Amino acid sequence: MKLEPEQESILRGDSGKAMALAMKTLVEYGKAFGAQRLVPIKSAHLAGTFAAISYKAYYKVLDQFVGEGATVKVPTTLNPRPGQDLNLLNRVTFSKQKYVDDAMKALGVTLNYSCVCYERDNVPALGDRLAWAESSAVQFANSALGARTNRNSILIDLCSAVTGLTPEFGYLLDEHRRGEILIKLKITKMDPSALGFLIGRKVVTRVPVIEHYDFSRIDLKNMGGAMAAAGGVALFHVEGLTPEAPDMKTAFGGEPKETITITQEDLDSLRYKQPDLANLVVFGCPQMTYEEVMELGEKFTGKQIKKPTWFCLAPEAKARFEQTELYRKVREAGVEVYSHCPLAALTVRIGHKLVLSPSGKLYYYLEGCEYGNPEDCLKACGVM
Amino acid sequence: MTTLQGRGVVAGQGAGPALVTQMPINFTAAFSKPHNILPWWRSRISDHHHDLFKKIIKGTVLVFPACIGSTFTGMVLMQVMHDKAAPAAMIVQDADSLLVSGSVLAEVWFKSGVPIVEYKSDDLFDKVHTGARVKVNGETGEIKVY
Repeated sequence: MKLEPEQESILRGDSGKAMALAMKTLVEYGKAFGAQRLVPIKSAHLAGTFAAISYKAYYKVLDQFVGEGATVKVPTTLNPRPGQDLNLLNRVTFSKQKYVDDAMKALGVTLNYSCVCYERDNVPALGDRLAWAESSAVQFANSALGARTNRNSILIDLCSAVTGLTPEFGYLLDEHRRGEILIKLKITKMDPSALGFLIGRKVVTRVPVIEHYDFSRIDLKNMGGAMAAAGGVALFHVEGLTPEAPDMKTAFGGEPKETITITQEDLDSLRYKQPDLANLVVFGCPQMTYEEVMELGEKFTGKQIKKPTWFCLAPEAKARFEQTELYRKVREAGVEVYSHCPLAALTVRIGHKLVLSPSGKLYYYLEGCEYGNPEDCLKACGVM
Repeated sequence: MTTLQGRGVVAGQGAGPALVTQMPINFTAAFSKPHNILPWWRSRISDHHHDLFKKIIKGTVLVFPACIGSTFTGMVLMQVMHDKAAPAAMIVQDADSLLVSGSVLAEVWFKSGVPIVEYKSDDLFDKVHTGARVKVNGETGEIKVY
């Protein structure tokens, strides 16, 4: 890899040991993929916000950056917090939360605590080069916005943020952004989250192109989140909808390598057969946006929920939502409105509390979580 | 003995009994459950969606098609490597950015990265079976199956 003189100087240790190791990390990371150079980024997004006591190596690295007074060189946002104040068990499990929060503040990171940072806090434009973590945000930035980022791990994200650089490979380059697999739909009742889950499972790490469907922005978010959990998809296209797929020919830059058809039966196969057995219904993984909660909230007005129900919102969305009349109605219906990550908060729950969610992402990661399409979940809540 | 020629992705040498799966692995889902905090279950695969559910990967040569899922993966793998609970080496058909991050971070910050070799062809699963003794060279990409 060819480095600029300034990059060489950081690598030699002229800016401190942590910065030198950050530069070395990016160089070794890039070399594994044949990157020729490091390129400047517009922004970073960090995923390392859950202060679980088991991530000791991560804290050792954070300590080195903070100890040397390193700060981020580009606008940098942050993933949600883990629900550290929810109950005693969470307080114990995430007892280092203040330490992580303070470290992020010292590094100059924007404390937005949102996995949907692209809504308001960190909005990329078409073609922007980024170094983001958070698989669902990477997916949205690449697919829905046409920005360019690899799936960067926690700490790779921070090494990029403090240097303002990322190695040039993968989804930063045109040749890796073209479609590989054509997804045909034989669906009568669309469920974007289930569709994303199935596509992720089938295409694994390749780039799918979905035949035209008029997905909303919220649909793209929920579908992408599921795709990046059940698979390793960092970029998908939708014919005639997403910015790099005005038509099939452009999206593929040639012909698809393979065609996969997803049917209504496939979607329905993910649905839990006894949604009424759920002890808790959770909406918002990735976190709900303002538009999303304003749409979903309507279903709860004038009703009383039958079982505990959580709405998990991005903090900026929650702040706006709290100003609305609908917020009062949703609270009156009995819904809990939070801004933490439901996955982290519920991972440490005691007993076998059965969670039902219309999130393909939460369904994948959370033990004891079953999948329901939006209608199943609303019925389980008792509002439909 | 069979020799396979792959691409060396992360340098180093490792040997051990092969643990083979044809399912992609989500390392975050695999190693981030509460009981993974117990030292003897540090590298117990706890993803109930996976074939290798409940298997412990420490000291094995892990053979699998791809790494999927969360961007926690690099940090989770770094921690497992830091705790000396990692596989001796990994052979993967598609080395992605998250898998590689785990080894790179562990090596750069803690000198504990494990070698990774990428071997694309599907004959991988005909030539390497669970339990076979395997030696991996992450520099040259050479895989020896005994």
